[in-house]
Formats: sequence, C-alpha cells, structure tokens
Amino acid sequence: MKKTWLRDYIIKRLLYAIIIAWGILTVTFVLLRIGPTSPADKYLANLAARGQDAAQVIAAVEARYGLDQPIYAQYLNYIGNLVRGDWGWSFSTSMPVMELIQTHWIYSFQLILLSSIFAGIIGILIGIYSAVRQYSKTDYIATFFSFIGISIPNFWLGVMLILLFAVQFGLFKTYYDTSLPLFSLANLKQLILPVITLGTGMLAGYTRYTRSAMLDNLRKEFVRTARAKGLPERTVIGKHVFRNAILPLITIIMFDLGSIVFGGAYLTEIVFGIPGLGQISFNAIFADDYAVVVAVTLIAAFLILMINLVTDITYTYLDPRIRYD
Amino acid sequence: MAKLKILAIFLVTISLLACSCQPAKEASGVFISGTSAGDAETLNWILAADSASFGYAGHTVDSLVTYDNDWNVRLHCAARDIEVSEDGLVYTVVIRDDLRWSDGSPVTAEDYVYTLKNLMFSDWLNYPYKSDWQEEVGGEAVFITPEVVDETTFSLIRQTVDPEFVYNVRTLVPYPKYIAVKYEGDVKAFTEAPEFNNLTYTGNLGPYKFLEWVRNDKFVLERNPEYYLAKDVGAPYFEQYIIKMFGTAATLHAALEAGDITYTGIDPAKMGKFREMDWINVYTVPTRSCLLLAYNQRDNGWAGLKQKEVRQALSMAIDKELIVEQVLYGFGEPAFSFIPKPSPWYMEEGLAKYGVGPLLDKETAKERLLELGYAVKTADGSIEVRDEEGKPLKLTLVTNAGNEVNEDVCHLIREELATIGIEVELKFVPWATELRKYLMNKIPGTDQEPRYNNGVGAVSEEPWDMLVILFNTHPLSPSGSDVFYSTKGGLNFWGFFNPQVDGLFRQAKSAEALDEEVRREIYAELSVLMSEEQPVDFLAFQLANAGFQSNVRGIEPGVNMGYNYHLWYFE
Repeated sequence: MKKTWLRDYIIKRLLYAIIIAWGILTVTFVLLRIGPTSPADKYLANLAARGQDAAQVIAAVEARYGLDQPIYAQYLNYIGNLVRGDWGWSFSTSMPVMELIQTHWIYSFQLILLSSIFAGIIGILIGIYSAVRQYSKTDYIATFFSFIGISIPNFWLGVMLILLFAVQFGLFKTYYDTSLPLFSLANLKQLILPVITLGTGMLAGYTRYTRSAMLDNLRKEFVRTARAKGLPERTVIGKHVFRNAILPLITIIMFDLGSIVFGGAYLTEIVFGIPGLGQISFNAIFADDYAVVVAVTLIAAFLILMINLVTDITYTYLDPRIRYD
Repeated sequence: MAKLKILAIFLVTISLLACSCQPAKEASGVFISGTSAGDAETLNWILAADSASFGYAGHTVDSLVTYDNDWNVRLHCAARDIEVSEDGLVYTVVIRDDLRWSDGSPVTAEDYVYTLKNLMFSDWLNYPYKSDWQEEVGGEAVFITPEVVDETTFSLIRQTVDPEFVYNVRTLVPYPKYIAVKYEGDVKAFTEAPEFNNLTYTGNLGPYKFLEWVRNDKFVLERNPEYYLAKDVGAPYFEQYIIKMFGTAATLHAALEAGDITYTGIDPAKMGKFREMDWINVYTVPTRSCLLLAYNQRDNGWAGLKQKEVRQALSMAIDKELIVEQVLYGFGEPAFSFIPKPSPWYMEEGLAKYGVGPLLDKETAKERLLELGYAVKTADGSIEVRDEEGKPLKLTLVTNAGNEVNEDVCHLIREELATIGIEVELKFVPWATELRKYLMNKIPGTDQEPRYNNGVGAVSEEPWDMLVILFNTHPLSPSGSDVFYSTKGGLNFWGFFNPQVDGLFRQAKSAEALDEEVRREIYAELSVLMSEEQPVDFLAFQLANAGFQSNVRGIEPGVNMGYNYHLWYFE
C-alpha cells in the first residue's frame, strides 16, 4: 500500500520539479538579458582607450554571441539546444558549459560532502551529550564553542587556519592542489583545512539544534514512561529521544546542504583556491556569461528540489505516521 | 712578436677553459607564478578582451619584438628591427627563417599578412582592437595595407603618417594560415576551434608549450626545448611554468611566504614583512600606472571646474606626497605629467608641480577661489568657499567600488578638500556602473548612442564632479593619450576641450615628428601645457613590488622585468 502512494507521490514531485526548474530557467534567462549589463562591457574601457567606437563594438560582440536576436528567438534557440544536450559555450572560460560543469562539480561535491559528514556526526554527538548533561561543565564548554563557531566568518577562519597550519607549522600546502588524484590520502589531507573551515559553522549549528531538539523530547511523557519501564538509559536516549529529535534535524541538515551547494561553499573555495562550481558560477555572474549562469542556476534549483524530495521521503521512514497521499 | 702570440694563445686557452668549467645550466623545477587578478578568458587571443588571455598565449607565441628595461629593442620573431621608409608610410618587416608551426611547416610572411587581412580586418570575426590597424583618410577609418614581399618579408603601407605606429607593428603575433582557413567565415567554429583553444599550433614560437588549463585554478606550461631563441643555450630553464590563481591577496601572500609559489606581486602594506624574510627577494620597480583625479568639465559637473584656475586651486589643496605615503605606503611618486615616468619621453623641466612644494598651499588655493568668485571673506578675515549661489560648496567624488587604493585616495582627497571648506560626497560604484552611468555620455534629448565622448553638450546619465581612476598608458607612445585629452578623443569623458592641446597632439602624429628630437620637443611643450591646464590632477605614479623565492636567478629588475624570463633559472 505504502509503496503505491509513495511511488505516486515521487512521480508527482518529479513532475513538479521539472516544471519549477523550467520556470526558474525561464526567469533567470529573461532577467539576465534584460539586465543593464552586457558581456561586451568587458571591452568598454579597453576599446575607448584605443579610440574605438564602443557602441559599434558592443553591437559586434553581441552579434558574435547571438545576443542581437530578439529575446524569444534566443530563448527558443537555447531550449532547443538544451533538449539536444547542448548547454552552450562559456565565453568567459572558452569551453562547452557541460564540460566546464563536469570538470568542476567534483571539487565542490567532495568539499560539501566531507564538511557535511564532519559537521553532522560531530555536531549531533556533541549536541546529544550536551542535552543529556545539561548545565554540566561540558555543556557550557560546548555551548561556548558553538556560539563561537556560529559567529566566525568562513573566510576569516580559512585564512587563519592557512596562516597557522600551512605557513607557521608547514603541515599543509597553502592552497588546494588539483594535480593530486581525487581518491588519494594526499587529497584527503589537503581537504582537512577547507572541511574544517566550511564545517565549523555547520557543526556549531547542528550542536545547538540537536541539543535543543533533544531537550524538548527529554521532557516528554514517553521518556518518563520508557524510564519507568526500566529501559536502559542508552536505549531511552538512542531509540526514543533521538529518533523523535532527528526529524527537525533532518530538515535543518537538508536545508543547510541545499544552501551551501552553490552559495556557502563559495567563500571556502575562494580562500583555498578550490576551483569548484561556486567559483565558476560567481565568476560567470560577473562576466555576464549567460550560458554558465543559467546552467548552474538550473542545476542548483533541481538539486535543491531533489534534496527536498529526499527529505520528505526520509520523513516517512523515520516517522511511519507521516503519509503524503 | 712570438712572445705575444704565445701570450695570446695562453689567454685564449685560459678563457676557453674557464668557459668550459662553468657548469651548464640545466632545466629543472617548476616556476609557479601566483596571481589574484583573475583567470584568462580564452587562449584564442584574437577574441580576447582581457590582458590575462594575451599573457597566457604570450608564453607560447612570441611577438616580433620586445623591449628590455631601458626600452632597447630585443628581437624575437623579427630578424631585424622594423624598417620605416623615409616618408613614414611603409613599414617593412623581416621575420626569422627558423620559425616553425607545430606541424613543422615554416612560419612565413604570408601567415602574418593573412592574420591581418583575413582575421583582424575581417567583418565576420569582429576583432575588437581593429582600430589599432586603421587610419583616418578623408574623414573615414580605413585599414592599412599589408603585402607579402617574399617568404620572410612583408610590408605594411599607410596613407598617413603616424610616427608611433611602429610600436604597434612590433607587437604583431601570427595565426597559422593552414589551420585558420578551415574556420574562416564561421565565427562559432573559429571560437570553438580546438587548435586555437589548446594552443596546439605554437611550434617553436615560444619558450613554453601549453600543457593544461584548469579554469579558475591554474594554467600549466612545459618548457619548449625547440624554442628558436634559446635552444642553443638550453633555455628555458624551468621544466614547467605555472600560473596559479588565488582568490584573495592574503592567501597569495601566505603561499609566497610558505614557499608554495615562486613569485607574486606584493601589496605595499605587506612589504615590511616580506623584506624581513631572507628566503624572499623583493624588487621594487616602476610601472606605467598613474592615479588621476578627473575633473568633470561637462555641463553636469560643478560649473567652476570648467575654469583652469579653479582646477589649479583644487589641485593645489591636495597633497600628493601624502597620497604616496599614506595610501601607497611610499611605493609611488607624485605625478605631474600625462607621460608615465619610465617613458623615454618623460621630462620634468618646466612642469607645474601642483600638490607639492610651493604649489601645495591651501591658503593660496582659497585666495584663488576668492578671486574667482567662489569664496567669501567673513568678518574675521577668514575665507569660506561657496558655490555660485553662495551656499557651502559640495562636490561629488566617484570611484569604482572594491578598489582599495582608489577608495583610500578618495577618503584622503575628501579630508584634504575639507581643510579648504569644500564638502566632498563619496560615491563608490561598481565598475560597469561607473562606465555606463558616469563615464559614457550623450547630448540630452537626442537619440545618440552613449559614448565616452559625444562632444560638447554631452553629459553622463549621473552627475559627478570628480573621479579617481587608474590609467595605464604606453610609455613609448604618449601620442596615444590624445584619446583622453584631445577634443575628439574617444575617452575624453571629462570634457576637456583645448585647441592648443589638440594641435600639439596632431603635431606629435605628423610627419615632422618622425624626427625624434622634434617629437621630444613637442612632448615637452605638451607636458608643460597639460600640467598648467590641469584637465585632471595627476596624483601619483605607482611602483610595483615583486617577490621571488631567493633561489631564482637571472632576474633583471626594471619596468619590463620579464623580458628575459626564459633565461631565469633555479640556483
């Protein structure tokens, strides 16, 4: 029975996701083209300095990129190419957009994945411990460091870690080296500082959320009942309290994941010189590289929609009372 | 006589022995040049707008000629320096006969002429800098005429004289005709051509060959053992040359300090720290950059700025040495001329040095404004600066947001002008906004396309009074600055119109200026006139700081420090 409504639900959500992603693509496409800037802006100063007529060259450069056509023609052309698997040519990096994304997504993905694992595991464990030992010294220390972790800006922490561990102690390289094999210990080692940088804020947040969710549940009747039934404390905390506390946590973790995929990881990528999608998309925005901006926005939107779908499905397994039919 | 012969043979033998005992330099190591200036856009340089793209490709393909630190000509692809006919209309270029494309075929004069005629001058490709190869004939811009003379010789024929066109010719770089013809006429195919995007055609034309480009990360080159200019001496001496991108200056400096990169530019504020590191060699060298304070002399600027005497008074109130000390940390020099200081044409004699010495005088500045009717004397005898309506004078100062040096200069100018009673409102705007809304202008109520100079009566979309900007002008061809200062100049966005200045720029580009002494006199007169006119306040020439790991040898510090970089080596 469950299988049927869940399957229907997933199909429905996937259809919604496609429609929403198409809407986002269209809005992004139109906004970029009606904006005040143009890919030809980069020529303005140089051209004038050489005595060239800027207006004439802007028109020529826009013609080169097909931007002289009416917006609907550009749009239909873009959608047609997209359907055929052609995501366009990135004129700020001189390569096909698909190849650009295929080359660079892995750098962001590994950073985000490892940071999430690092922050998720440690943050939740500290949060549980803090809640169970509420108002103990350990709880105060954890709270103190959580607030520091939440308050520290990523880029500042990253630079400080580089100065301390790479420059002073020489334990790491000052930048991410893309020549090292992805699946190697050396690569894992060079990701330690970036993961700490990106993960610290997340870790601190998870600690606070876990503590709060655990405390909410620790005070509930079913906990008292479980203890009264003589269940071991580990079972009470692990099976009853944590299982109930994890639902809001999943929402927060998934939401976090969505927001850092193309946003939060950017600063860490900048500081450590990791050529991930964050950097690529940021530079594309400033270069008015429309093809890249639209593609990255589309992928980001679709990923976030998928993360939400996975979150919803996870709920049904964690709490069988939840149904979407 | 016999003794002399024996002595001569002995000396020759000793010198030969000495030579042979010197260890031959061997290529080794990886030279990593760190930068935070951003990645290149393309290796297909003819499509590029940014200097990084030209820089990347430039490691693999030489231009005809470069210059050393004293602006002496260094022949590269050219077999001898460009010959200019007596009437200044025909330029003859002879290239070396040992230049090869990657398929082994020779680089010929035909490749150069094809690059000019079929690529740079074509309508389908829209080479953005085609105006470098145009001249005005009968009120119209026409291309110069390239012609093949023989296998290694071609000529460029002009109809009008431009004594400084030769500097342009020297920068010429060819595309391989045998590849380019495949894409001719199809801009999409040309843009995406793998040979041009992977620099697979470069043969023996540059000290390095393209190996890998990871966008926003690094550009990797490997040594080219066949490099025509150095294969006899085993150069270049680095196995690889890498340009590594950094997102912040802080991490870039950290990488140099930690020894993770070999070279980078150092911010003035960090110089003290790096000078104390014995594993880093720091060189301070002149640059072609000049910080300017532009005065808006168009109708949407404060009316007073149209008067030379007012501009002089304001310039007299701004301490240039303070800017050099406080903003550039001493790594600069007060500027008084439109010609950059490292230029062979630069001269100081007779320049009006506003902002230093006797021409830095705030009281005199106020008195001048009083004489001009832009100030009033109060009962206690003090002078208060006023606008035409008698209100306290308030001016708007603009610069591009995010440029720390420009922003600091603006803050300092605000403080300086406050001391003579002028309130300054600062506006830091994004670069694209500055270009479109403050620099570009048009005559109101017309359907003119906005340009940087749409003539008398044109104004920018947003009003402004002063603007801080950094200019990079070519030290060898100051006449090119006419785009900024002549009435019809394409970048005369501040609206400075002066017939005498126009005349001198015309003279600098005329046949009489083919005589270098005459040209020198013209530039001297122009420099003095401009320093008096103050179309802009030339604030400071910047110096650059380059930090190298101390084991790098062969560097010759100077304005063109990299001219011999293929001969640098690790100790």
